[in-house]
Amino acid sequence: MKDSLLTNLSVQTLFDVAADAMLLVDDTGHVQQANPVALELLGYTFEQINGLEIEALIPESYRSQHHQHRNTYAKNPEKRPMGKGRDLVALRRDRSELAVDISLSPLDIGNQHFVLATLHIADKRRKVEEALKISEERLRLAKEAAGLGVFDFDYRHNIIHWDERMRDIWGEESEETVSYKKFVAAIHPDDRVARQAVIDRAIDPASNGEYSVDYRVKNPNDGVERWIATMGRIHFTNGHATRLLGVARDITEQKILEKTLQEQRAEMEALFKQQVASQTVSAIAHELNQPLAAISAYSEVALHALNSGTFNPENLKHALEGAVAQAQRAGKSLHELLAFMQKGQLVTERFELNHVLKEALNIAKGDGYGDFSPLLSLEPAMPEVLGNVTQVRKILVNLLRNAVEAMRGAGAPSSAISITVRTNQEINMAHVTIQDSGPGLDADTAKRIFEPFFTTKPTGIGMGLAISRALTEANGGQLWLEQNNKPGATFHFTLPFAT
Amino acid sequence: MNTEATIFIIDDDPAIRDSLTLMVVQEGFTVSTFESAEAFLESFQTERFGCAIVDLRMSGMDGMQLQEMLTKHHIQLPIIFLTGHGDIPMSVRAIRAGAIDFLTKPVTREKLMTSVRFALIESERILTERATHQSVQSHLAELTERERDVMALAVQGHSNKEIARQLGISHRTVEIHKSKVMHKTGATNLLDLARIAHEGDL
Repeated sequence: MKDSLLTNLSVQTLFDVAADAMLLVDDTGHVQQANPVALELLGYTFEQINGLEIEALIPESYRSQHHQHRNTYAKNPEKRPMGKGRDLVALRRDRSELAVDISLSPLDIGNQHFVLATLHIADKRRKVEEALKISEERLRLAKEAAGLGVFDFDYRHNIIHWDERMRDIWGEESEETVSYKKFVAAIHPDDRVARQAVIDRAIDPASNGEYSVDYRVKNPNDGVERWIATMGRIHFTNGHATRLLGVARDITEQKILEKTLQEQRAEMEALFKQQVASQTVSAIAHELNQPLAAISAYSEVALHALNSGTFNPENLKHALEGAVAQAQRAGKSLHELLAFMQKGQLVTERFELNHVLKEALNIAKGDGYGDFSPLLSLEPAMPEVLGNVTQVRKILVNLLRNAVEAMRGAGAPSSAISITVRTNQEINMAHVTIQDSGPGLDADTAKRIFEPFFTTKPTGIGMGLAISRALTEANGGQLWLEQNNKPGATFHFTLPFAT
Repeated sequence: MNTEATIFIIDDDPAIRDSLTLMVVQEGFTVSTFESAEAFLESFQTERFGCAIVDLRMSGMDGMQLQEMLTKHHIQLPIIFLTGHGDIPMSVRAIRAGAIDFLTKPVTREKLMTSVRFALIESERILTERATHQSVQSHLAELTERERDVMALAVQGHSNKEIARQLGISHRTVEIHKSKVMHKTGATNLLDLARIAHEGDL
């Protein structure tokens, strides 16, 4: 197939359609053939160039030399570029000169020797070279601006080619290559293992060959330790890693900044923990200090009554009863606190939710949160629930207190709190809904309302709802805020039935 | 005097209200309690002889905010603050704003009663000052406009001649006005008149 194609295609046709300028010169140095590209390039017609001595196409100053070169070539014809790297110049018919590259190929037709000379316009090559130089310059500028060093690790020879920037970092003078051993010696011993692991992963032919790792380099000249970020790509040949071509950047300052930030963050975290602890302690202290203050006052009243000898037995009894009740209150606060801290050891029992709700309403009233009218909707004969009574009571009291505070803070016209207790058939759980007549919560507040230490109250510590949610969950239920546009906040919580 | 004084106890903890009430009543005072600063402000109409024992930390309006509200409405009532923990910067702020004392709970009878007595002395002083001010005001209200002009210039130290020239009236008329001013205000001399002018914000 190929053979038949070639036989049908005449040499003349190939000669005529070639994209390069071609001249066929005989062994006496006369042009025998010139293709259209050559005629165009040199500005001759075929008739004018045919039989012309080749030296006519060379500026006069080179002609005598060319004679010699031609004779030398004729003795040892070979396929090679002419001029050995010198710039060659062709003379056109209009006497203008043209920089060209010329390749020479010996060609025998019959028993006559010819030379086929192929001419490329050298300007074209120079432009390409120029463009290459410009883009190399741009690359260098970009590299410098980014502070990038470039390295090329040759696996087969175990050497690294590197640029000036890399040598600066490693503290090497002017060697353009360095042995791998010497290269690694400058790397901080603590970072070598991690770096090696990254390389091992990258040279696995199954990987994508990408390589990226940070490590420290100690400059042996100035003793300065620098953090270097390197990234690159492994080149594979026949499934073997042959090169690692990559860039390196000095990130010492960035690392210092990161370290400072990290220290600041740690400091802030410590501060936050300290604040949390001090707020928690403050909350506990308040819970205990209040009854203590009352006990102290009641006791002094009793003492004063006895000392003055003019005591009213009713008042004395009242004071002592008050002291006892407050001591009980302090104890209860402590037990609740301990119960909260020992969530794991939750003691559960069966109880009537409606009954505990009524207890919670009484506690809220007794604690100074009585300024509301409850609108109750209780499912009669609801099955008993299972949970820790104290904790469930605490959840209810917390929700009621929040509702009252929300209404007080806003000076709400109505002070109704509607409370619904029902069976949620879908999930088969007891479901409590508490809706106040306050201003409700904006979206931002609603989002954060369950976060510990989030509060909208001037004196609150923001643990109420966080604790209530934790308690609900410890009892196998859920506590959530209804997202609606209605005025008033609506909280829901569920508890499992005792089955 | 004690029997006329009312001690207001403002605390959101019912046990604190109850126990302190017993204590203060034992001393023979009349007590009025409130579970919030808002409830107190609502019922408190006019200044009276007494003082307030206020919990610093309350849900809703706290003790410091209550103090600010009273100041804003020009109500001078001596306040004794009770606090769970000794917050020094806050106590300094409260004392600067005119609080009588800043006591830490649990408070002893002795400390509380010392503060209460001191507060009542302060209350008495406020009321006396207020009464003087009011009587001076009523005296000054009796003066005619021209008499007030003459009085104002006289207490600034201007001579009768100077006053006559400034007001464009005769020397004799100034003398008559001045004598009427002295009579109506009950001032015995020019110095006394100057004091009255000062107390009456003339």
